Amino acid sequence: MPASDQQSTGHDSPNPNDGTPVEEMSALQKNPERSKLPSGSMAIGRGQTAFSRRRFIGGQCAVLGVAALGNIATGSIFAVAGRGTRSDNSENPFAYRVDRFEQTDPKLIGYVEARRFKSPCAEPRRMAIGGDERIYLAGEKRICVIRPKGSVAAEIGLAAPPQCVAVANEVFYVGFKDHIEVYAANGKRKAVWETLEGNPYITGLTVAENELFAADSGNRVVIRYQLDGKIAGRIGARDREAGMVGFVLPSPNLDVETRGDGVIYVNNPGRHRVECYSVAGDLLKWWGKPSAAIEGFCGCCNPIGLALLPDGRFVTCEKGLPRVKVYNANGEFDCVVAGPESFRENARAGAGSTSDPARIGLDAAVDSKGNVYVLDRVTGNIHVMVPKAKSDGAR
Amino acid sequence: MAEQENRSAPVTRRDFLRQGSRVAALTGLGGVAGLLASKLKAETLVWQIDPAKCLRCGRCATECVLKPSAVKCVHAFALCGYCELCTGYFVPEPNELNTAAENQLCPVSAIKRRWIEDPYYEYTIDETLCIGCGKCVEGCHRFGNGSLFLQVRHNLCLNCNECSIARACPGDAFRRVPVSQPYLLKTSYSHG
Amino acid sequence: MTMRGRSFYSLMLSGAAAAWNAVAEQRFPPPEFESGHQLPVTTVPPPRALWHEYADVAVLLLCLGLACYFVYRRRSRRSVLWLSVFSLIYFGFYRKGCICPIGAPQNVALGFFDPAYAVPLVVAVFFIAPLLVALFAGRTFCAAVCPHGALQDLLLVKPVKVPSWIETGLSVLPYIYLGAGVFFAAAGSAFVICRYDPFVPFFRLSGGLTMLTVGAGFIVVSMFIGRPYCRFLCPYGALLRLASLVSKWRVRITPDFCTKCRLCEESCPFGAIREPVPPPANPVELAPDRRRLGLFLIAMPALIAVFAFIGNRVAAPAALVHPTVSLAERYLDPAKPPPPKVPTPDSLALERADHDPASVLSDAARIRRRFSRAGWWFGGLVGLVIGVRLISLTLRPVRADYEPDRGACFACGRCFMSCPNERVRLGLLSPSEVPGAEPARSNTPPVAAGYIGKPKTAV
Ligand code: SF4
Ligand code: SF4
Ligand code: SF4
Ligand code: SF4
Ligand code: SF4
Repeated sequence: MPASDQQSTGHDSPNPNDGTPVEEMSALQKNPERSKLPSGSMAIGRGQTAFSRRRFIGGQCAVLGVAALGNIATGSIFAVAGRGTRSDNSENPFAYRVDRFEQTDPKLIGYVEARRFKSPCAEPRRMAIGGDERIYLAGEKRICVIRPKGSVAAEIGLAAPPQCVAVANEVFYVGFKDHIEVYAANGKRKAVWETLEGNPYITGLTVAENELFAADSGNRVVIRYQLDGKIAGRIGARDREAGMVGFVLPSPNLDVETRGDGVIYVNNPGRHRVECYSVAGDLLKWWGKPSAAIEGFCGCCNPIGLALLPDGRFVTCEKGLPRVKVYNANGEFDCVVAGPESFRENARAGAGSTSDPARIGLDAAVDSKGNVYVLDRVTGNIHVMVPKAKSDGAR
Repeated sequence: MAEQENRSAPVTRRDFLRQGSRVAALTGLGGVAGLLASKLKAETLVWQIDPAKCLRCGRCATECVLKPSAVKCVHAFALCGYCELCTGYFVPEPNELNTAAENQLCPVSAIKRRWIEDPYYEYTIDETLCIGCGKCVEGCHRFGNGSLFLQVRHNLCLNCNECSIARACPGDAFRRVPVSQPYLLKTSYSHG
Repeated sequence: MTMRGRSFYSLMLSGAAAAWNAVAEQRFPPPEFESGHQLPVTTVPPPRALWHEYADVAVLLLCLGLACYFVYRRRSRRSVLWLSVFSLIYFGFYRKGCICPIGAPQNVALGFFDPAYAVPLVVAVFFIAPLLVALFAGRTFCAAVCPHGALQDLLLVKPVKVPSWIETGLSVLPYIYLGAGVFFAAAGSAFVICRYDPFVPFFRLSGGLTMLTVGAGFIVVSMFIGRPYCRFLCPYGALLRLASLVSKWRVRITPDFCTKCRLCEESCPFGAIREPVPPPANPVELAPDRRRLGLFLIAMPALIAVFAFIGNRVAAPAALVHPTVSLAERYLDPAKPPPPKVPTPDSLALERADHDPASVLSDAARIRRRFSRAGWWFGGLVGLVIGVRLISLTLRPVRADYEPDRGACFACGRCFMSCPNERVRLGLLSPSEVPGAEPARSNTPPVAAGYIGKPKTAV
């Protein structure tokens, strides 16, 4: 487009509304060099727009082509751009690894699972086995009486959630958080014992010929009751003067068992051991050591449950690495009843963020034949474990 | 006719169009503002970890735009068992229950162990060292009471518009909380 | 930083902590220490106080006002420069760039699409105020308030002219990027604009290696190409551009008259100054343009449809950005071999977070559907943007003077002093030194001689 053209354009069609003084245009006219087009540019106006538009279209076509080609590629790009670009599928460098302890050596397992059934009540806590081989299960707001095969024989509704239960002839005792109630076998309440003082949290019960022992996690003591509900003594209380550390309980999991021979067995989770007391309260002996390995008690506070085998051995339950093991009368590791691989869900919940340490873990009870009933508090399953061979048990 | 207009008054038309679109844009902006107003919060929001959802995956240490991370381990002392064998402090199978580095779980030895009375020990976090890896948190949850947990520390956090950990968090544990309640402290075992 | 008075916090906040603790349920009691040891209180160092946030808003508004004053009244590049230095320091290095409107469209989008998310007032103001100002006074926010702009502006040492075809070609990117940002934010999965912001990691001096590299790249490029992020990527800039296209006032190279001396032509490092375009001599010349315009108008729906289709196709893989979808894809896709059994964060999520595979899969399917629905919209938007751009290229502007393009001008003020008439206006040159201006000046009415803003309002 020649420069003169440009000038005349400006002059011929003066635009009344663009406010440009005509004088200015004439000034332009007088200075032809000024209005000369920039040499590099194609043209002003139409020419230029057409020019860049063509390029623009070309460019966009290229973009379109690339987009079409990259349709598949985008998949991978987005996958990469997705969450956790770097640590995508890599292991957590800060993982807390205990998986080597989660698999039990099969040679150590002395029991097989004969059957398994679901607890009829939610939130099962502890169980006991009566003389009639029936399972008394404390959970929710009731006690379920279950036949050995798993069918429900009776259900006794309660006013508050029971924590534990112990069975004697004709009656059974139910431990609530702060007191104990006595029920007849038919479910009729016979007595309500006095509410405990302090900070009670009863989590274990065991009954002997003519006395009952209650493990009070809250006050960190075992209470010796007469069967009429009178407190006859307190066992295992902390006494610094006497050098008694007492029960160390980060979580409410104190348990007590007795064979009725004047000795009670109490777990001391914070110290990773099982302690034997005389009913008078003297610490007779203790055994157990902390270790994540199979022969020890894992974590910070285990065992959380005890049961006594008829032959004098002990059954212990642990949380964290949920496992049930048998120790002989001297406290030496004997065999495994069931390892963490049997309680996957339990382990999972135990590692959960919301889990209440009082609501996870396992409990065990033993029937007269030496079968171990393991209660998984998380899934509500009751695993019936029978010894692999009787000869194993006699070791 | 259009031709005519085009020639005689392009600028005014442009002007008119411009004014019109300006008014439209203003209305639009006002509309957005109005719609927003119904959802407006006077408070700003900050990021926080819901300890109930955290999986202790380790990404809090690696994904924060800050190095070391603005996420730190904090301790709810009232939940702690004051264990002698703290599984948040010690490796799963410690040689001995002492403060030797090889027995400590924390990769940066940020946890301090202090004897209170037999057999209780208190564990405190040195936040200047902690990198928020969550290893101790996992140990404490796995075996202990779960009194250790991770929190975004707001004296450090830059309050990114989108927290880079939040988008990598596999537990969806990060959420925006009002600035007046900037922490989601663990105080109980409440479920959910 | 960390030592900011710990004890002070615990004192100040133990009250607050106690209030939270009050809601705690009954729990198993911690040991009772015979030594009388008291449980320490968990410290809760507070975030920035709310008034700080409001102070940020005040600074923003103040800076916007000042920027307008500097650009329109004082017409001083130097003032604008100093203000941008201040903004860079305050919003950039002090506030670490994370109180900025660039990412705000995402918050707004999330606010609309996520019922659980309420947009904080501060974010809303940061989103709206610069746009509002742009509707009246153009991109003064970009001139001196935006830390990103200020950083690039200050780094510019040797501007290179970007060929116009690249410039036009890339000019659609900001809209697409904005669309993508809103798309992902609305889909509730990510704030991509924040994630890929090149300068914020630089302000913080920390961040992922990739982002620091990209930031460094932008920094090197902005030494030679004026404001590359602003021109070719910034999604908020796209909104500001639209707003300033219809702004009430505009930046003028000189409020005086233009003598088309072309001295200002090269003064804009951002290629925003446009040459005069005379009205067509003959209406017949317009005919091809008209035809093209008609063609494009007709082709527009087709363009939108094509892009909507592409958007829909791309959205399916894009859904992988969503954590649930990628989780499902990686671990639960029956067509794929299961991943190695190492505990990764994602496998943890599946194992622990009460995610059962069926619900993860159905969630993933739902999210995918949502993405591909949104993909139609997003693709359509891209088509629309490109179409509008094409149409705008066929439209013939009429310009009498050299003037900055309304949309592209960042109001930085560099061109002011390159105009001899501006210098004359300011008394820095005598009219006799400006040959082209002389005759025109003699014709201007004497009243306007001192302050000639009015006589030629071409717009
Ligand atoms: S990223 Fe999420 S799950 Fe992982 S440690 Fe942090 S908050 Fe916990
Ligand atoms: S494991 Fe947890 S609860 Fe136990 S002492 Fe350590 S921090 Fe406290
Ligand atoms: S283990 Fe990790 S989270 Fe725990 S204190 Fe050490 S650095 Fe912090
Ligand atoms: S918001 Fe930013 S600084 Fe804060 S924790 Fe998340 S990534 Fe780190
Ligand atoms: S275009 Fe964007 S980055 Fe550039 S100055 Fe404007 S808002 Fe800031």
